[in-house]
Amino acid sequence: MTRLQCPFCGPRELREFQFHKTLPTGPGGSAYERTYERVADAERSLEHWQHVGGCRAWLHVERNPSTGAVLAVVLLGGMRP
Amino acid sequence: MKPPPPRQGCRLDAQPLQFSFDGRSYPGLAGDTAASALLANGVRLMGRSVKYRRRRGLLAAGPEEPNALFTVGARPDAIPNVSAPLLQLRDGLEFRSQNRWPTLGFDLASALQAGGGLFGAGFYYKTFIWPSWRWYETPIRHLAGLGEAPGRCDLPPPVLEHCSCDVVVAGAGAAGLAAALAAARAGAKVILCEREPACGGELEYEAALVGGVPARAWVRAALAELAALGARVLTHTTLVAESSGELLAHGEPGGLAGMNTLHYIRPRAFVIAMGAIECPIAFRDNDRPGVMLLNAAERYLARYGARCGQELVLFANNDRAYPAAQRLLAGGMRVRAIVDTRAADAAGAPAAALRDELRRAGVECLAAHAVLAAEGSTAVRGARVAPLADPAAARQIACDTILVSGGWAPALHAGLREGGSAEFQAGLGAFIASAQPAGRASAGAANGHLELAQVLRDGHEAGVRAARAAGAPGTPGAAPDGRGDGEPRLAPFARSPAPERWEKHQFIDLQNDVTVADLRTALAEGFLDIEHLKRYTTLGVGTEQGRTGGLLGAAILAELRSEALPGIGLSRTRPPYHPLTMRSIAGFRAGAAVKVARRTPLHEWHEAHGGVLDPMDLWLRPRYYRANGASASTAAVVEARQVRAHGGIADGSTLGKLEVAGPDAAAFLDYLYLNRASTIKPGRARYMVNLREDGCVLDDGLVLRLGAERFIATVSSSHGPHMLAHFEHYRATEFAGRRLTVTDVTEAWVAIVVAGPQSRAALERVLGAAWRDTLGTLGHMGFADGDCHGAGLRLLRASFSGELAFELHCRPASAVQLWQELCDAGLAPYGLDAVDILRVEKGYLVSSEINGETTPFDLGLDALAHAGNPCLGRELLDRPAFHEPQRPRLVGLRAADGRAAFLGGAQLTVPGELRRPCGYVTSSVYSPTLGEWLGLALVARSIDLEARLVARDPLRGGDVAVRVVPPVHFDPDGTRMKAQPASQGSATT
Repeated sequence: MTRLQCPFCGPRELREFQFHKTLPTGPGGSAYERTYERVADAERSLEHWQHVGGCRAWLHVERNPSTGAVLAVVLLGGMRP
Repeated sequence: MKPPPPRQGCRLDAQPLQFSFDGRSYPGLAGDTAASALLANGVRLMGRSVKYRRRRGLLAAGPEEPNALFTVGARPDAIPNVSAPLLQLRDGLEFRSQNRWPTLGFDLASALQAGGGLFGAGFYYKTFIWPSWRWYETPIRHLAGLGEAPGRCDLPPPVLEHCSCDVVVAGAGAAGLAAALAAARAGAKVILCEREPACGGELEYEAALVGGVPARAWVRAALAELAALGARVLTHTTLVAESSGELLAHGEPGGLAGMNTLHYIRPRAFVIAMGAIECPIAFRDNDRPGVMLLNAAERYLARYGARCGQELVLFANNDRAYPAAQRLLAGGMRVRAIVDTRAADAAGAPAAALRDELRRAGVECLAAHAVLAAEGSTAVRGARVAPLADPAAARQIACDTILVSGGWAPALHAGLREGGSAEFQAGLGAFIASAQPAGRASAGAANGHLELAQVLRDGHEAGVRAARAAGAPGTPGAAPDGRGDGEPRLAPFARSPAPERWEKHQFIDLQNDVTVADLRTALAEGFLDIEHLKRYTTLGVGTEQGRTGGLLGAAILAELRSEALPGIGLSRTRPPYHPLTMRSIAGFRAGAAVKVARRTPLHEWHEAHGGVLDPMDLWLRPRYYRANGASASTAAVVEARQVRAHGGIADGSTLGKLEVAGPDAAAFLDYLYLNRASTIKPGRARYMVNLREDGCVLDDGLVLRLGAERFIATVSSSHGPHMLAHFEHYRATEFAGRRLTVTDVTEAWVAIVVAGPQSRAALERVLGAAWRDTLGTLGHMGFADGDCHGAGLRLLRASFSGELAFELHCRPASAVQLWQELCDAGLAPYGLDAVDILRVEKGYLVSSEINGETTPFDLGLDALAHAGNPCLGRELLDRPAFHEPQRPRLVGLRAADGRAAFLGGAQLTVPGELRRPCGYVTSSVYSPTLGEWLGLALVARSIDLEARLVARDPLRGGDVAVRVVPPVHFDPDGTRMKAQPASQGSATT
């Protein structure tokens, strides 16, 4: 629940990872809407994290921000471990 | 000195020892705690309460003890607020009571009791105000607080252990042992944590049978089996806190100030078997020395052979009083009476049978009675007892101890940590944790079970479920059977009847001196919710965290509000669940180990030559050199003057350098920077600016083009890791799959800045003939690669000082030699403060101006935006809001009176305006070149050049009149920087 499964390193403590940003989930397409008119979803948050305390891989993490549960973790950038 | 009493107890070892309490020496036995030894020596007065300084004795036998808090050791290393029942004795231990002056027996401040009404709930809002609260502040502060903070910390740091396991069982009592056995037998990896030195909990002394054998034998067998199954049993280890599913446990097997270990445990499943805490009952003067919890008396007797008194009166609302009375009689104390609040027929059959036996043995067993008050002014001398139906018909029973049992409150704190909720159990009259997240469960008394067979079964099932949740495959067998005291029937009873004038002596929370009167006051003032009540009356704060006062306070609140207890709820407890020293939490992270220090390869040279190094972010950088002045300000002026007059060298290695390479590198940099990198010619550098997504300036730096597919981007020292993450992120998203690499080469290159009119000549001397042509022909913002002293070297011509300047990028191994040679060639080193003076004179930007709120237009970088490069942030850069007249604009400032000083951070207003600033000073320095203070500021666009403004700085200096000037104060055409050598082109050897 509060371990992230790094595709290279396996399940690691949350403190090894650094949060970078949350992706916009709203319908807006323009830069203004994506930056300033963001709608937060209480159940699902798409985020970019980096495994700074390990392999420094960039990860796309899908999380439930209300419970903290991690739903999915994949590598960014289409690289394969 | 009294002869040692012939004591026997299951925790004791026959080894005698000596200890000292409040300066007086006492004998004890190995295995004693401070509480048990003092009790055994007949000491009953152990402390004074925090507000009223009332005499207090022991109440309990565990961490729920609110009164007996001692300071261990001598100043300045003394450790305050150590709980007496937890303080293991060793030979020669010295400790003293707290919160009293001059002595525990004679405390001057106890005169405060006379003014009791002045110190009720929230007194600081209502009293001690006239004529000025400041008169009262100092004496009240002097009196307030629990214990005295130590002056120094001499404690050994803990060993840190990180581990993970399948199941953690917290508490090694009956339920905990049953759970651990079940889980271990099912094949799970188990860690069992027990706060006490020995396992077993109440089984240690309760005369029970488990699985047909005496309880103590069963405990030993269980521990042996756990060891054989590979489970870890940690005694002396307290579960202290929890964070995101990771448990923190502190083990102190060596006792206070001995070896200790901090365990970070990540379990798959967690069984909470930490038991239930006995509740007191509130009656008048229920805080007198001699009033104790019933199970505490039993524990001191069975574990340490210490008698809590001689003549006892038991006051209870449940069946346990009767078997307990039997055990206390057998222990040699005289039970005068048992005061049961319930009707005669409310007791269960076994309890009723015991009651008859006790009556025959001479114990007066009263039903439907209550203890109204404890008699005696310094300690208990008797109990005032009356029938509940007729409180006026009271009589006194002489005694020296009143043992109270008002039911049990399950230990909830751990069960609620990660999102569980509490639910009320009517039969128990208390709350248990329910609806916990998967993998967590309470068991045993913590789950509301009080009868031994149920406790064992509940523990066993919790262990089975935990093992299953953790994925352990095996079969755990059946639960052990147990027979103990029997199911204790209970009728909730929170406080004895009392006239209202007695309520200010009916104590609910002994540690914080909260009485029923305080609750009434708080309710009358509108603090209805228990959380508000907690904060207003301080009920449940402190080291005790509501262990004895929490449920009692909620029950009395329910009574006063005429509502049912389930609707009132309990206030939240805070970690750490048990007090531990800051040293234990910090571990090795103290002093220099708190932050990493980053040093450049020239660090030792700076130190050896009088450089004063300051941490900037994580980097240690020289601010100035002592030879140039006594303080930063004087030395910096000398150094800056020297650079402009002659020349100097500075260590610029901390600047971040990112190498970007590959066929798509140029396109990548075009995307990340406002101006284009793809148009830079190889061998040239360009000043470039990064934007954020919203169009504000993120950072600035130079980009050097090493080749068609190779660049080095420099980023500000303080932004290094952030910019690396920024670059890498876009490489993984927008540029995923493209052919480019990003590498942090900050630590691969030492950068030596060589600046000033003599810089070129000095470099010629140091680098040698091979570099003469290059030095002669290198234009501004050009660079060349070559060798020097057999190692690679890059010479870049760039200036942050406005002088003719170069940067030598060399390998760390050659750095010190080059630096020393440049010094020998006549260039003195200068530090960061001088760098700042030089750059302010030239209007160059640092993070004071690039502060995350400014756009390129604000900073005068419009020219870079003209090309229309579709970079990151471009879309939001082009918006009308960024051109409004109130947007800030970078300008320079000079004092209207040439000598006045103004500082960065001062707010700027037009003269006559007292409220609204039109900008603020971002940087300011004293300039030796111009002989006055200069500054840079961000002011509204509507303010013109040559306008007069006032720099307002009420906290530091006052007001200074300034005038607005262009940001480049000195050499605006840059002629010094772009100077070419007089003898250009002609090479003389």
